[in-house]
Amino acid sequence: MEPILKFDNVSKHYPNGVHALKEVSFELCEGEFVSVIGPSGSGKSTLLRAINRLIPISGGTVWLDGQAVSALRGRNLRQLRRKVGMIFQNYNLVYSLSVLQNVLHGRLGYMNGVKGVFGLSSEDDKQEGLDLLEELGLADFAYNRASDLSGGQKQRVGIAPAIMQGPKLLLCDEPIASLDPSSAKTIMDLLRDMTQKRNIACIVNLHQLDVALKYSTRIIGLSKGEIVFDGRPEEMDDATIERIYGTSRENLMIGGERNDQTDSAHCA
Amino acid sequence: MTRRIPLIARDLKRLYTGFLLVAVSLFLLCTYLTEFNPMVLATNGDAFWEFITEDFLPLALPKASRIPGIFSSVLVTLALAMSATTVAAILAFFVALFGSEKVSPFPRFAKAVRGFATFLRNIPALVWAFILFSSLGIGTGVGFVALCITSFAFMVRAFVETMEDVSQDCVESLQAVGATFPQRVSQAILPSCLSGFLSWYLYCVEVNIRASTIVGMVGGGGVGLTLFSYIKSFRYDIALTIILLIATMVIVVDQITGKLRKELLK
Amino acid sequence: MNVNTMEYSATAKARPVSGKKPSIPVKCRQRNRFIPAFLIGVAVLSVLSLLYLEIDWLKMASRVGDIGLVFWDLAHLDFSNMDLIASSLVETISIAVLSLLYSLLLGIFFGMLAARNVFRLPWLSVLTQSFFTFLRAVPTPVWVLLMLVCLGMGPEAGVAGLCVHTTAFFTKSFAQSFESIPDETIEALEVTGASRLSIFMNAVLPAALSQIVAWAGMRLETNFSECAILGMVGAGGIGYVISNSLQGYDYGTAGVAILLVFLVAYGIERVFVRIKKKFY
Repeated sequence: MEPILKFDNVSKHYPNGVHALKEVSFELCEGEFVSVIGPSGSGKSTLLRAINRLIPISGGTVWLDGQAVSALRGRNLRQLRRKVGMIFQNYNLVYSLSVLQNVLHGRLGYMNGVKGVFGLSSEDDKQEGLDLLEELGLADFAYNRASDLSGGQKQRVGIAPAIMQGPKLLLCDEPIASLDPSSAKTIMDLLRDMTQKRNIACIVNLHQLDVALKYSTRIIGLSKGEIVFDGRPEEMDDATIERIYGTSRENLMIGGERNDQTDSAHCA
Repeated sequence: MTRRIPLIARDLKRLYTGFLLVAVSLFLLCTYLTEFNPMVLATNGDAFWEFITEDFLPLALPKASRIPGIFSSVLVTLALAMSATTVAAILAFFVALFGSEKVSPFPRFAKAVRGFATFLRNIPALVWAFILFSSLGIGTGVGFVALCITSFAFMVRAFVETMEDVSQDCVESLQAVGATFPQRVSQAILPSCLSGFLSWYLYCVEVNIRASTIVGMVGGGGVGLTLFSYIKSFRYDIALTIILLIATMVIVVDQITGKLRKELLK
Repeated sequence: MNVNTMEYSATAKARPVSGKKPSIPVKCRQRNRFIPAFLIGVAVLSVLSLLYLEIDWLKMASRVGDIGLVFWDLAHLDFSNMDLIASSLVETISIAVLSLLYSLLLGIFFGMLAARNVFRLPWLSVLTQSFFTFLRAVPTPVWVLLMLVCLGMGPEAGVAGLCVHTTAFFTKSFAQSFESIPDETIEALEVTGASRLSIFMNAVLPAALSQIVAWAGMRLETNFSECAILGMVGAGGIGYVISNSLQGYDYGTAGVAILLVFLVAYGIERVFVRIKKKFY
């Protein structure tokens, strides 16, 4: 199968000297549900943002659907970004607008300049947006202000514009990091079901190892900007976990609190 | 954690001691430089009081034929502040879009835009007025432009800060969708920042009411000019009436803008 | 047509029958109608204001070229009058600082009177507050002009005139800071039998101190630029040098003076931003 996304020796270093990605290479095919895990600062966010060029990379090439992302500018870049939906930790909604308006933002990339500026969506788009909200269980909230929703509801709204785009690839940047466990489960279930139904490849940045193991078809482990693991969840063993997080599985699962304490002691 | 508390306190203590030292030394230095003597005020107290009671009081009204003119000059001052702030706000909005690295399509020029605004802002409105007087001649139009320049520069900074606070996240998400720059502006920045912008606009109106009175004094027209001419012709009793009028005008405007701001931020 | 109610039934079940195409609404059900009304009001008022001012735009536009010339002349800095410029700049800065420091003391005193929670005398607070609201409403240069009339030329008039407005400003902001202190703190000291003044000195003032420092830093910027323009309405200082040399077509000297005013104002702003970043 032709890979939809291909990282070819991608590097990124920031002006402040941080090497967020070091010669990262991997491929991604249609229908895959990939979790990217790793400690904070391991380059997960940079990896996602390199795909749709929200962050320009410093070396190597990102191939998306056969096109080199880093070579694109202006209109071509926007057309490429249409193929990639993105979901954010902080939902990134425009809170003063209605839920439906936020959903319709997903179509902006397809609308011509003037119509997009005034938010004049076509009736078909609006209907599709309403249908999508129905599917997400938010039909009753279509005309509420986005700021009135709860965190879990906001994130469900956050999924909608990304799906509206009709993407081939969905990027989720820690979608459940600010949510309670039950909302987090809803979101992860929705993500898996919706991407499977539409045959969209999906990359999810996660902090929770157990969630990654449960939902993904493949896991990529990042540590200090390098891929240290790339395989199916079943292949994940304690040694790999230790390589990714620099600490044993027990410390991650049970001893989390103890870890926090030692951390804060260091800070103080 | 227990070690942090004295740390903050020590920090603050250093701030206060430093502040006190700086204040006292500045006080001594400046008193020496200007030969300012607060006793002058005290010894002149009697003369001062006499002056107030005899020259300023009782209030006097200007000639009845002048009164409509004075009210229209108040209107000129209000109109000057209002229109200058609005024009400045519209310009500032478009420029501010290019003044933030996170929002602008040309992040490299963002610093230059902010630097330009800083330059305009740090020269007082009255200095701009004088510079313009010497090229454009005296008149209301120049007062208008001078007020525009400073409030424009002020609002560029305020708008950039508001945008970076409020809409950075949703701009990113619209960018990821493939929206063009005008689309990002109208669909993300405007809806989320508008009430913040308007609140700054109201603040600027308040400032400009005072500033337009002052610009008026040196030739921009309006009630400032009227006041200045009465002071120059030693009619202090009428001048005091006009000062009261100015104060009323400012207080009323402050009240209105305060109400509007509360409504905006609801 | 009962389209409206149908639209707001808000579910996809309201899918329109093909052929008939009512527009699906997208905006919020409960919209803030205040902002559009406000925008229209502002636009109308501003257009009316512009018309009322009757500015001769054509005449101004015809002279726009002159602005360039003036700036060109200003850019030819002339340092020959440097001693005059330097001494008046020092005078201006000194007056700004002195008025700030005197007002700081006066502001704390009157702020104490104006805060509702210090002496618990509502009439005193209201009286002080409204008196200073009046003082604040009159622009600084007016006060300075009046002081010039009363006290004659000299730094005294400048300091006194600036003090009026600055004290009024401080009184309001300090009173706010004092009032933001929780009542429980004050009550706790009240039951120990401490006097009102000692409560103020030992609890209220120390708690508000960091805010007072912040207000003072912010006000220094304003005071300097206010002080720089005083010369233009008849007092001394750097403003007088600027207006005098501009009117005497001595653009080189004016250019140097304006540049110095900018640099000092910018310097104060930078220092203040630094301090703010460090402590807040």
